Amino acid sequence: MMKEYFEELENGLQTAIDNNQGSIRMLYSLEIARLGKRLYSGEDKVAWCGIIAPFDLLSALDVTSCFVEFIGAMMAATNVAGDLIEETNHIGYSSDSCSYHRAVMGATMKELMPKPELLIGTTCPCSGGLAVIENLAAHFEKSFYLLQIPQDQAPKNVRYLADQMREMVSFVTKITGIPMDTEKVKFAMETSNKIREVLIEIFNLAKQVPSPVTGKDLSNFGIVMALFSGTESGLALAEAFRDELKQRSQNLTASGSNEKFRLLWIQNRIQFKNPIEKLLEDQYGAKIVIDELNDVTWGAVDPDDPYEGLASRAISIPFNGPAQNRVQHLQRLAEEYQVHGAINPCNWGCRQGTGSRGLIEASLKEIGVPVLNLEVDCIDHKKFTEGQFRTRVEAFMEMMDS
Amino acid sequence: MYYLGIDIGSLSCDSVLINDDETVLATSVVPTGARNKESIARATEETLRAASIEKKDVKAIVSTGYGRDRVEDRLSSVTEITCHARGIRAMLPDTRVLIDIGGQDSKSILLGEDGKVVDFAMNDKCAAGTGRFLEAMARALQVDIDEMGELDANAQGGLSISSICTVFAESEVVSLIADGTQVSEIVRGINNSIAFRTLSLVKRVAMKPDGFAIAMSGGVARNTGVVSAISAALGDINVSVPELPDTIGALGAALIAREKSA
Repeated sequence: MMKEYFEELENGLQTAIDNNQGSIRMLYSLEIARLGKRLYSGEDKVAWCGIIAPFDLLSALDVTSCFVEFIGAMMAATNVAGDLIEETNHIGYSSDSCSYHRAVMGATMKELMPKPELLIGTTCPCSGGLAVIENLAAHFEKSFYLLQIPQDQAPKNVRYLADQMREMVSFVTKITGIPMDTEKVKFAMETSNKIREVLIEIFNLAKQVPSPVTGKDLSNFGIVMALFSGTESGLALAEAFRDELKQRSQNLTASGSNEKFRLLWIQNRIQFKNPIEKLLEDQYGAKIVIDELNDVTWGAVDPDDPYEGLASRAISIPFNGPAQNRVQHLQRLAEEYQVHGAINPCNWGCRQGTGSRGLIEASLKEIGVPVLNLEVDCIDHKKFTEGQFRTRVEAFMEMMDS
Repeated sequence: MYYLGIDIGSLSCDSVLINDDETVLATSVVPTGARNKESIARATEETLRAASIEKKDVKAIVSTGYGRDRVEDRLSSVTEITCHARGIRAMLPDTRVLIDIGGQDSKSILLGEDGKVVDFAMNDKCAAGTGRFLEAMARALQVDIDEMGELDANAQGGLSISSICTVFAESEVVSLIADGTQVSEIVRGINNSIAFRTLSLVKRVAMKPDGFAIAMSGGVARNTGVVSAISAALGDINVSVPELPDTIGALGAALIAREKSA
């Protein structure tokens, strides 16, 4: 079923793009469809991973890898997550635990998750995701390797994680039976470095006032682009975004903009169809110009000896370590993007998100940025009450507009 | 000219008519029921009739409340947060923290010195502690909701009722009745439960509310027992209640209608 879904999605998107009806967002969806197709093809060697696994390195090892939350988001986007989530009540998941993870486990119980060859868990960003990896390993009777992510960039910590990544390569090649090709790894790292440069350009363009992005353009962008890192198609996609935004930026200078408010979106977007971006833009001239996860926090990786660089990249994710890392990162983003307000959906069941909510709110208010805290299940559309949601968002915008 | 504010809540539909001097000419509160449009028409008719004004003389209508987009001939719709803030500014201008407990929403609103909304917090996930909660408890106790204030005044206090879920709380109340607990004590427990939830909302916008002038609007503000319980929960801070507290949102909407059509 899922294989056919991704094939149909790919064909539909490709036809629209061939007929010049495509947008950059459509190119992005096309890459997602292609990844989905590979995951469900039954031909690729698949690895289910934690969010900050080194996807470019795995790609160079001929493994099609993906973080499990991606499947939760895909199920939400197609409005099937609700039923899958309910399935997990039978296997010990509490009804108020994270719906990203419950949707993945529900999909597994319904045999909608492709069987992996191996699994790579990461201790960051949350223990819930790691528990899913462990559950999947048990369910599919496959081995998993755990990357223990240290909490800061001390040289010994970087070396510690780099050594784990070397060990991970041995683990992967032993299971797949495909030896590591150093030239392939070098190419993947060079490509990742090029993507990194382009991402910096994209985010710098988004910072402009007025911003050339729409509220939807860069939704989920940073976190999903990690899945395409090290690949030529990923680089082409990033370049398409950059070129489109450059073009829009030039047009904006000439034609002006109706941008009235600039917003920061904290953590992930709501993954099912909902009216927020349209409501914000149409009714209030408010645009989400920056998402918390859209940032480059790491340096270039040495293509000839990538492990230290990859380790440093994984450690640099602001969700890693104490909440202060997130707090300082969000303050920096708010200032650099000159936002007027921030929206924190506080995904139901996300202990990390809820636990940090007060600190984040206080720190942003300290620099004059009001915060709207919502209580939304970002995956389960059955829990979404549009009227309640609209009132909160509209009141927040009226407050800023007064 | 005249300006009409309509607040379509989950329990009641309230309307307020004002003139250019911002004088309130008439108000109306009718049950919302299942058919919003009929309630809106009835509230509008009652208000206009009470003021002997024809609808053609109304220059602008602003709607608010959860059914705000169902008022067809409105100039605009504005959220109840903004409208309650505007309404209380007219009635009790010193207010800095406003508590509004309506049918399905309870909210706290922090106002700046200029009366504008600075921050707000609302109940999430469930409607325990709102007007619907109180209605369910009155039904379980088999008392009229308007009697609850008087019953509370006769209580000694000390009983607590679950504030997590309306259904669980209702079941708890039924058990307490079966155990022979005095109705007045149960009412006090219910009011304390609402106060407990309200306190956390207030603290989300003002961690230290003492020193702020606090007021309460919405239909539940008519219940003196709830107001006293909230006042006690806040540390014996006075909670002011304006005249006709359930029409504060509609008043704010009428005032905004006048401003927007100026």
